[in-house]
Amino acid sequence: MRPSRALPAVIAVALAAFCAMALSLPLAGCGGEPQGTRVVRMGILRNDLHQVAYYIAREKGFFADEGLDVREGGAFSAGPEEMSAFSAGDLDMGYAGTAPVVTFAGQDMADVRIVAQANMEGSAIVVRNGLEAPDVESLKGRTIAVPGYSTVQDFLLRLALDKADVSEKDVSIIVVKPPEMIPALSAGQVDAAVVWEPYPSMVAAQKAGRVLVTSDEIWPHHPCCMLVADAGFLRENPDTVRRVVAAHVRATEYINENELEAADMAHLFTGQPNDVARAAMKNIEFSFRPRPEGIERYVEFLKDNGVIKVDSPGAFTRALVDTAFLPGGGS
Amino acid sequence: MKKWKVLSPLIVLALWQLLAGLGLLGKSTPTPVEVAQGIYQLTVTGFPPGYRLPGHIAASLGRVLLGFGMATLFAVPLGILMGWSPAFDNALDPLVEVVRPVPPLAWLPLALTWFGLGMFSSAFLIFLGAFFPIVLNTVSGVKSVDPYLVEAARTLGAGEATVLARVLAPAALPSIITGMRIGVGIGWMTVIAAEMVGVKSGYGLGYMILTARDVARFDYVVAGMVVIGVIGFLMDRLIKAAEKRVLRWR
Repeated sequence: MRPSRALPAVIAVALAAFCAMALSLPLAGCGGEPQGTRVVRMGILRNDLHQVAYYIAREKGFFADEGLDVREGGAFSAGPEEMSAFSAGDLDMGYAGTAPVVTFAGQDMADVRIVAQANMEGSAIVVRNGLEAPDVESLKGRTIAVPGYSTVQDFLLRLALDKADVSEKDVSIIVVKPPEMIPALSAGQVDAAVVWEPYPSMVAAQKAGRVLVTSDEIWPHHPCCMLVADAGFLRENPDTVRRVVAAHVRATEYINENELEAADMAHLFTGQPNDVARAAMKNIEFSFRPRPEGIERYVEFLKDNGVIKVDSPGAFTRALVDTAFLPGGGS
Repeated sequence: MKKWKVLSPLIVLALWQLLAGLGLLGKSTPTPVEVAQGIYQLTVTGFPPGYRLPGHIAASLGRVLLGFGMATLFAVPLGILMGWSPAFDNALDPLVEVVRPVPPLAWLPLALTWFGLGMFSSAFLIFLGAFFPIVLNTVSGVKSVDPYLVEAARTLGAGEATVLARVLAPAALPSIITGMRIGVGIGWMTVIAAEMVGVKSGYGLGYMILTARDVARFDYVVAGMVVIGVIGFLMDRLIKAAEKRVLRWR
């Protein structure tokens, strides 16, 4: 094709692509709290077991029962991207981990409020096969992987080492993303790893290693995933947020009352084998009520490490957590 | 016209400062001044604290040089062979074209299984990024050599090996160098994927950028981007300067 003929075709294709993009944009920015079915753009983490309440509320019709049309505003592979989507105004609510929520809120990068907990605990220290390690103390001199600098898992490891009287200088802590931890353990590249479920259960199922200690033994009821709402959305649509929280609470109770069925649904949601999903969910405490003291403890850790600058971790946490929408209201 | 070389980056910087300063680029976009402060802090304090910028640069430079060096070492002879022999070309071209579009990031789990955590898996991903532009440019360089030159050499009694080494390779050199320039650029583009594998030493520009992203330090993210850009630019200039020396005969 000669360039003179190709040009109109190229322009036509570009225009078509632009129109398709414009048409696919979500219906955003509906002013005032609408009547009838309310649309919520929900952010979720891809393949994450901790937010299985979202999946159950959707599949069991709990959202619909509340008159909600909850749409997946984005499925993210990591929390930081989800928080960026919040700051870009692309999400109304979302399920995310404590670390991205607190770090982004603590630096004014995203204006969100924690309106409910999704789960607590649910992490573990795993060790590779063939490593003689009966306890945390025996990890001295070893290489231990964490999923990210200053994550809850990083904090859990430091707590566990401290408890076992092992100095951080006596171990080598490196960052390895969870999917890469399993091959790294199998190949003996790392001796241990601290990671959230379902990875510890996957490590065990794939015989790459075993669980040394679960996170509830290190820090009981430590915060993990939470349900957050954009502060602006919360201000303008308090009733919608209340309904989402109600559906989330109902789903969380459903998980606790129907463990096996919930695990089977988690298996469908995350694509994990059934036995992995079941084992993993046993290690997760599904609970909808946030424990501000746990969040505050983590905020202090971030502050001490210079990750966020807040004057008072207590005041910051109180402003971040909004339990007014939970059954029974305020904290 | 030369003044535009200085003016255009200045205009971009001023526009960026203005737009980001007014908050028109979103909350997370740092201004050039904040980025400059970020570079300073990275140099003095380091990020994560204690891990300073020179260490990050050295680590990434090492990985890129290893990956790019290996890519050049394998790609140039392969490209010359493919350009010279239609049989080789027919046999290898489909393979090259199938593997070429696969994003290096997709190789990450395999790289880890094959090479383990550390230098070699990172360098392998950079190798994948740099390899194909060098092969393709070498092939096209060899193919575009004037057949009369080859004929003339043969008439003068040159054997195949001599033709390859003394005629085809030097004549294709400008193309090979262009391939290397593209290759080293793509090598740097791959550095984040490469350092996602897991960095044992705690050093690496890509690793630093990923860590800064995790904790919402976008000033460090952009500072890392700027540093990568400048190093990539300098490496390109270095190859260009080398090209001038090597190709003096032209």
